[in-house]
Amino acid sequence: MIGELERQGLGPTGNDFPGDQEPPRLRRAPSRASDRNYPRYDWSADPAEEEDGAGNAEAPPEIRTLPWPMERKRAVRQVQQMRAHVSFGAESWRRNKTKSLRKLQQNVREFLYFFSLWRKSLQKIGGNFGGGVKSYFVFLRFLVVLNFVSFLLIAGFVIAPSLVRRSAGTGGFVNSTDKESCLVYDPNPQGLVVFYEFFLHLLSGTGFMEDSFMFYGYYNNNTAVEDGSLSYNIPLAYLFTAAFYFAFCLCCIIARMGTAARVAVATGGRAIGNYSLIVFTGWDYGCLGDRATKLKQKNIYYRLQVDLEEERIKKRAASLTPWRKVALYTLRVLMFLIALGLIGTAFYGIFEATKFSQENGDRFGILGLFIEYLPSIVITTGNFLVPLLCDQIALLEKYSPSITVVVALLRAVVLRLVSLGILLFTLWSQITCSGDLEKEDCGNCSYNNKKYQCWETSVGQEMYKLTLFDLLVTIALLVLVEFPRRMVVDNWSSKLSQLVGRQEFVVPSNVLGLVYGQTVVWTGALFCPLLPLINTIKFVILFYCKKITLFCNCRPALKTFRSTTSTFFFLVVLLFGWGLALVAMIYSLAVIHPSYACGPFRFFTTMWAIVPNSFYSLSEVTQEFLFFIGSQAFSIPLFALSCVVMCYFIALASIYGRSVAMLKAQLKLEGQDKQFLVKQIEKMKRNNI
Amino acid sequence: MGNKQTIFTDEQLDAYQDCTFFTRKEILRLHGRYHELAPHLVPMDYTNEPDCKLPLALIVDMPELKENPFRNRIVESFSEDGMGNLSFNEFVDMFSVLSETAPRELKAIYAFKIYDFNVDNYLCKEDLEKTLNRLTKEELTPEEVDLVCEKTIDEADLDGDNKLSYSDFENMISRAPDFLSTFHIRI
Repeated sequence: MIGELERQGLGPTGNDFPGDQEPPRLRRAPSRASDRNYPRYDWSADPAEEEDGAGNAEAPPEIRTLPWPMERKRAVRQVQQMRAHVSFGAESWRRNKTKSLRKLQQNVREFLYFFSLWRKSLQKIGGNFGGGVKSYFVFLRFLVVLNFVSFLLIAGFVIAPSLVRRSAGTGGFVNSTDKESCLVYDPNPQGLVVFYEFFLHLLSGTGFMEDSFMFYGYYNNNTAVEDGSLSYNIPLAYLFTAAFYFAFCLCCIIARMGTAARVAVATGGRAIGNYSLIVFTGWDYGCLGDRATKLKQKNIYYRLQVDLEEERIKKRAASLTPWRKVALYTLRVLMFLIALGLIGTAFYGIFEATKFSQENGDRFGILGLFIEYLPSIVITTGNFLVPLLCDQIALLEKYSPSITVVVALLRAVVLRLVSLGILLFTLWSQITCSGDLEKEDCGNCSYNNKKYQCWETSVGQEMYKLTLFDLLVTIALLVLVEFPRRMVVDNWSSKLSQLVGRQEFVVPSNVLGLVYGQTVVWTGALFCPLLPLINTIKFVILFYCKKITLFCNCRPALKTFRSTTSTFFFLVVLLFGWGLALVAMIYSLAVIHPSYACGPFRFFTTMWAIVPNSFYSLSEVTQEFLFFIGSQAFSIPLFALSCVVMCYFIALASIYGRSVAMLKAQLKLEGQDKQFLVKQIEKMKRNNI
Repeated sequence: MGNKQTIFTDEQLDAYQDCTFFTRKEILRLHGRYHELAPHLVPMDYTNEPDCKLPLALIVDMPELKENPFRNRIVESFSEDGMGNLSFNEFVDMFSVLSETAPRELKAIYAFKIYDFNVDNYLCKEDLEKTLNRLTKEELTPEEVDLVCEKTIDEADLDGDNKLSYSDFENMISRAPDFLSTFHIRI
């Protein structure tokens, strides 16, 4: 069957290339017409001419990006090589340079591929479950890398110097003040040692864990050094590392958002049509396996149905009578208030649970552990129940499907982040006696030192417990709910199991879980420097757990909405969490008095106070320079300049949008002109005949 | 990177490396895959450029293409005779365009060819209907197919001639964020 093939018109190396534009080959006539669209390679172009054209070292397009058959590309390459042999001097040097640069790029890319974490797993996930699920795992990988790099930062600047200082032995540092009672702090109360106390301490961050590098309380504020050659200001380093950590995370997030946003801005910002996108880019060519293919087809079918359904709903909404419109809107407002009420109940529950937990936190044993974890338990239960109830409410609201999903997601985001905020608020009110520093408990040390001998460590412990509980709940759900569910559904065929079906991997709620975990870490990083490391380990465990459950227990979600599975959306939600953590950090830095009994900021009025103090130890010139930067003479012109730059970019973006619209209109007009001219020609032909 | 391999000359491998998005290792691996499709027909020694073509039926049996609803069109777009018979050069070309590092413009050109069922250089309504039916395995009703095709042409047609030329298609693809990642077969 191979024998009866057409012989190629061209020799194997293209040496008998006659020099005209078309290779002498037998081709089907229509595909010859499609060459019209391809870029032409100019055989007569002299490389020397190209170079003194614009003075740019723009090489001719890479051969492999040209849409030609292989033989033609190889022929072109041969011609180029022959030319390269002939020319000397600058051109050949430049050509060699571009060539070696490309080779270097390729080698670097291959090298980085080798190091790219979990690349094969991600491909497998994408091929079998689609882009939405893959984007969750890509987001998870991003967070793992972010946390690990942050840990390296903190370890380098804070933990390592502290280790060195500790092992070198510390001198006396106690200034005698009149706040004797505030200096009492004993993280390791000796008492009856129960045999399971190790695990209790491990789970609640007390005892041996409290008296370690884990928490703020262990660090000292000594800056002087034995031999006087090196001096390292640990408190200043601690503060600046925390601030830089936040800035670094913000830069990473915005850098990642930038690539996604660039496409939207450059094309005029208009959301492009759904239908053409689905039809032409809906199919994932990397889909492997029969089952994945069928699911992909169902997915595309469902997406088209959703769009068609939206059309129908729009038509129906436009045809509603005014009375029905009013009824619908009142129903929506009512449902919104109910949803708000549900969320408010959850918040109140968290508030009460935190207060109770902080007040009764000195019980022993399992009961004590339970009370300590009470806020985490209430938050997790709330985050689980309230979205379920809101989903039921959403059924009554009768929004179109895409709006329903976005609204549900927004509610879940608000629930998660604000519940964390409520927890922080409750802690704050406990620590500072609700801001009233004249109260009996807080009057002495400007914070509640009866309950909290070292309040920063307590906050760090709370964040540590939240992180740990999150991981334990995920693993527990995996083992106790998802695996049994799959076994029940697979082995017991009844109507109920058909109805329930296999677990669906719902991307948005999983992503919210990740954002929540990361926000907790950001909030706690100031008080528990090892928390990013713990979070890295937690996310790595989470990756493997989720991967296992995905492949064993889940079927892919039939209902996917692009907007809610895009990386841009995840990063926006992550930014909200970052903002919340930033507010908490700034407040603790600038307002609350640090503990007297522990930590690097022992004798400052606020944590931030160390910066002005150290400022005066800088040289005169630096001080003047920094004063100048902070003064109005500098900041007002800078502000004005940034306003001008921003206006320029906004104007540029709007001009692009407008020119895109104008060009589109022009294209339409030209198309109509062409049709008109064709009709005229035909009319004239008919008249002539 | 074997100096010991005898399948291709070094010069051939260099040429392949420059003309595709594959490295030497990957090209040798591709030759292995091509060979195992028809071990009796594909020679192991390509140094003198043997003239060997595999028919469509063998190529679309590959696991990477087997389940793809457009597998026939893909292979036909890359075959010179338009019937789907691929020589090794065309085979490598096909997977090079579908690889991860191929640029967007190149992929768009071939995507257009793939979706152009009647090969008239335009995506007309019949082409779209065929595409849609293959995408959804004919589960949409004819009215729905009609509606979707109309809306697609509405959205993408810029010059108002009720069919999509290559520039319409390219313009629409340039704004599709995940085109690069979906139009990708890993081999």
